[in-house]
This record gives sequence, C-alpha cells and structure tokens, in this order.
Amino acid sequence: MTKHEFEVAMTCEGCSGAVTRILNKLGDVKFEIDLPKKLVWIESDRDVDSLMETLKKCGKEVKYNGPK
Amino acid sequence: KVNLCSVALKVEGMTCGSCVQSIEQRIGSLPGVIHIRVSLEQKTATLIFDQGQQSPESLTEAIEDMGFESSLPDGSTTT
Repeated sequence: MTKHEFEVAMTCEGCSGAVTRILNKLGDVKFEIDLPKKLVWIESDRDVDSLMETLKKCGKEVKYNGPK
Repeated sequence: KVNLCSVALKVEGMTCGSCVQSIEQRIGSLPGVIHIRVSLEQKTATLIFDQGQQSPESLTEAIEDMGFESSLPDGSTTT
C-alpha cells in the first residue's frame, strides 16, 4: 500500500472530524490527520484521483503533496 | 411548476464558522436548493428547496456525504 500526503484546508476539529468520517466510510483505507499542519496521510491501494475526490466531498480545498 | 418546500435538518459535528460555510456553499449550490441557512448554535440547517429536484432525504444524504451527521427532525415537518 502506498502512503499519500494531502494538504486539506481544515480549520477546526469539526473539519478534521468531517474528514475522518468521510474516510471511515471508505472502509479500506488507513489514515492519520494532523490538524495543526493541515495534513492528511492516507495509506491505500486506491488511486490518488479517487482519494482526492473523496476528500473534496467535505467542501474544503485539497492539495496532493505526493507519496510519502 | 416549481413546488417549494422547507425543512429544518439536524446537523451534528459542526464546530466552527468554516464548517457552517462549507455546508452552506456546497449544499446551497445543489440543483433545486433555493436557500440554505445553517445555525451552529442550534445544529440545524434550514433549507428551502424544489421538491421536484430534492427531497429531505436526498439533502440529509448530501450533508452526510460531507462528513457531518445529519438527520430529519422528529416528526418531520415538510411544509
């Protein structure tokens, strides 16, 4: 599995909570969220585009920083 | 003919103004949604929408899709 780093414009715990719930719904991913740094690490076999789409669902800006 | 309807949905998980804003922007731009007002204090989203294009259920789902918990109010009042 590849670990991807995304930058998500999260401003509060509600935002990171929303991201958490969205990712939990996917089911087959492992992830870590660093709220102060606005970073999300996702370990998954899914391709970057679909992960990106998923993260965008929360209505926040998402940037892909590359594999870690 | 447009058949307008209003509903107040419960929304859990919002903690700040930016959560409110992203919901208002995203849900407010869905087809058939005429007006949306989200209250952080009351944890509700009040919507006016066209019944031909949206339903309270589809709106609840759209909010859940964003990662918030949403439910229809008790004794659902669509007027």
